[in-house]
Amino acid sequence: MNLDRDPALEAFRTEVAAFLDTAPTDAIREAGRRTTSAFAPFDQAMQWQRILNDKGWAAPGWPAEYGGTGWSLEQRYVFSEEYARRDLPPLLPNGLQMVGPLIIDKGTDEQKKRYLPGILSGADYWTQGYSEPGSGSDLASLRCSAVRDGDDYVINGSKIWTTLAHRANRMFMLVRTSTDGPKQAGITFLLLDRVDYPGMQIRPIVNLAGEEEQCEVFFEDVRVPASGRVGEENDGWAISKHLLTYERGASVTAPRMRRHLEQIRAAARTVPSPYGGNLADDPVFQRDLGEVAADVISFECVEKLIHSGHPMAKDPATPSMNKVLGSEITQRLTVLRTRVAGVGAVPRQLEAIEVGSGVEPLGSEFELTAMPWYLNSRATTIYAGTNEVQRDLVARTLGRR
Amino acid sequence: MDLTYTSEQQALRDSLSRYLDRTYTFDQRQELLRSDRPWSGDAWKHFTELGLTALPFDEEAGGIGGTMADIVAVGEILGEYLCVEPYVSCVVLAGQALRAATGSDPASRLLEAVIGGEAQVAFAHEEGAGTPAAAHVALTAREGAGGHRLTGRKELVLGAAQASAIVVTARLDGAARDPEGLALLLVDASAPGISFREYRTIDGRAAASVDLQDVPAQLLAQDATEVIEEIIANGIIALAAEAVGAMNALLRQTIEYAATRQQFGVPIGSFQVLAHRMANMKMAYLNARATLLHTTALAEAGTVSAVDTAVLKAQVARFGRTIFESAIQLHGGIGTTDELPIGHYAKRILAFEPMFGDPDFHLRAVGAAAGVPAR
Ligand SMILES: Cc1cc2nc3c(=O)[nH]c(=O)nc-3n(C[C@H](O)[C@H](O)[C@H](O)COP(=O)(O)OP(=O)(O)OC[C@H]3O[C@@H](n4cnc5c(N)ncnc54)[C@H](O)[C@@H]3O)c2cc1C
Repeated sequence: MNLDRDPALEAFRTEVAAFLDTAPTDAIREAGRRTTSAFAPFDQAMQWQRILNDKGWAAPGWPAEYGGTGWSLEQRYVFSEEYARRDLPPLLPNGLQMVGPLIIDKGTDEQKKRYLPGILSGADYWTQGYSEPGSGSDLASLRCSAVRDGDDYVINGSKIWTTLAHRANRMFMLVRTSTDGPKQAGITFLLLDRVDYPGMQIRPIVNLAGEEEQCEVFFEDVRVPASGRVGEENDGWAISKHLLTYERGASVTAPRMRRHLEQIRAAARTVPSPYGGNLADDPVFQRDLGEVAADVISFECVEKLIHSGHPMAKDPATPSMNKVLGSEITQRLTVLRTRVAGVGAVPRQLEAIEVGSGVEPLGSEFELTAMPWYLNSRATTIYAGTNEVQRDLVARTLGRR
Repeated sequence: MDLTYTSEQQALRDSLSRYLDRTYTFDQRQELLRSDRPWSGDAWKHFTELGLTALPFDEEAGGIGGTMADIVAVGEILGEYLCVEPYVSCVVLAGQALRAATGSDPASRLLEAVIGGEAQVAFAHEEGAGTPAAAHVALTAREGAGGHRLTGRKELVLGAAQASAIVVTARLDGAARDPEGLALLLVDASAPGISFREYRTIDGRAAASVDLQDVPAQLLAQDATEVIEEIIANGIIALAAEAVGAMNALLRQTIEYAATRQQFGVPIGSFQVLAHRMANMKMAYLNARATLLHTTALAEAGTVSAVDTAVLKAQVARFGRTIFESAIQLHGGIGTTDELPIGHYAKRILAFEPMFGDPDFHLRAVGAAAGVPAR
């Protein structure tokens, strides 16, 4: 255990701050302030990733030999703190946190050479094609099929909830390649180098906040090169399970939660309490905010313990616990947001929230984003495996020790 | 004690539902929201024909002498169909304010037009922080040579831009949080000095911020604290009825979905954790509806207290949240889209929560009151 203050770390903080103060464009900053879910506005997030990558800072979590930063855990926290403090848009997770690490671990040399640079630079956006209309929590029941034909696979079926598929140029997906034996045993993991193959169709879905973020993707006799396969045919389940440990918590998120708290407290200072003074001075509000704040701090402790490789974090239930804790705190933060915004959260302001629209919001930026944050965050306990299913996974590990 | 609806009320509910079943299905409603119409004129016409716009007014005023229970009986149905017509704001809030100013000429004529379905009147009270009580009003009314003039801003005024006149809560005297000096005034919606910023609420209602700069107004009632409190209380009951109607639909649709959606080869409703969550939804609905019906009966008997409405306001919002958050979660991904009614019911209840004070405000009022009201 070592929590000494390190002067080198403070120098690093100054360097990070200087860069983050000057590198982002106005549009990127606006996108950060308009971010109302885990997915920042697409164009600005990708543009920002290119800028960060030029500096070598796009993938702090990657091994240095593949373009990671080689930072210590402390440095990663410093970076995340300074990043969150400036309300910069989070980079989209699919490439950097999901398929990138997977290709590093399980891809062929050819795949690494071909795909990692674009993932790192933000030239490519990868959409995740796992879920299907009939296969959600029971993912292994998926039916979208791929049949080997020469050097290709021929895909038929459909995928749903593919986030930002309509903005993507690549896709990683699970397909059924065999119906023999247990359902997990006939699944294959494919990398698609395009999403505009003949026979492929993408339809966006409007979410609760009124935005188009998820999609449906239809496949009709779509021929894709078999060289995109990761691992062996019918071995996709193990591959995707490996990837899931990344999806369910390999990132540093507590600083962003702390930033939410700061914003909520700042907004509460401007809202009159019905008892006189401001909401921020109201003891009941303070107590409620205090409860979430304490949980954020505990969560940060958990996150650091996990990233430091502590023995407790080797528990197979760790990613699931991390996912449940993080998603539920996020939801509670958004409830507090709407509570502080009050009736200011009731107008629907789809145009004002769009980056670059120039449409003046009715009230403050905090009020503008409060309700979309709340509505979008309902999904955090659903995606990446619902919290019911995660708790089941945690429960299953209880008897082992 | 009888908390059931009378056969007349039931008949009214049935005929309203039959009409909405035909003309106000979820798809038809969504089409209406995509159009540039603020609400369905046909529906409003039908409401008038059914007598809904005459419901809460005594016969002397041209009404049919209905009670709060009638309003609630209708309100639940309007909530179940997610109606966006400004029934509560025009009839319950503004209408009751007009009725309070009996004898005053334009008020009586305007009320007649509301009852006949010819006029839309809006009620402007909210000032941005929930404005849970009459005393919280800050907007000022100044008396001058030619009558009263209003200056200030009102938020979230439902149906404001479509109304011909607006009833405004304002203060003749004192400062915000002073219980004295309050008044109800009437302004012409096209008067000089008035401007609107129009929008839709998250649950699809037409609303506006209303800016008033030295706008001529007619005094409807002064020393109006009690009248305003009563209008707010009735508004809370009527809006709570809509929320409870929405909760009913959420419960029913979630139970249906959980029985048909299969994962792991079984209906998801058979997973115990979901079964328990639906059991909690059902108990929340029972709690909310019982509180609604009981409070309504008290209002009908003229014995409803401020604590009673505070309990209702807080509990419907809280139980409503229990129900809609569970409904979304149990639906999984499909519950997070705008394409299903589920999210729209959620947004109706979410919009109800901060109006006229959030649960926190009302729970404190309940806690601060000496004891629990005897019933
Ligand atoms: C915003 C968003 C983004 C997403 N992004 C992507 C993406 O990019 N790519 C992708 O492939 N997918 C994505 N998903 C899909 C997501 O992974 C699924 O929605 C999720 O796995 C749940 O599946 P489902 O929606 O079919 O719900 P269902 O599996 O039908 O679940 C419905 C309810 O039943 C419960 N349930 C199911 N099984 C059990 C059980 N055994 N025990 C107890 N309860 C159970 C669930 O917890 C839930 O409450 C996204 C979803 C959302 C909402």
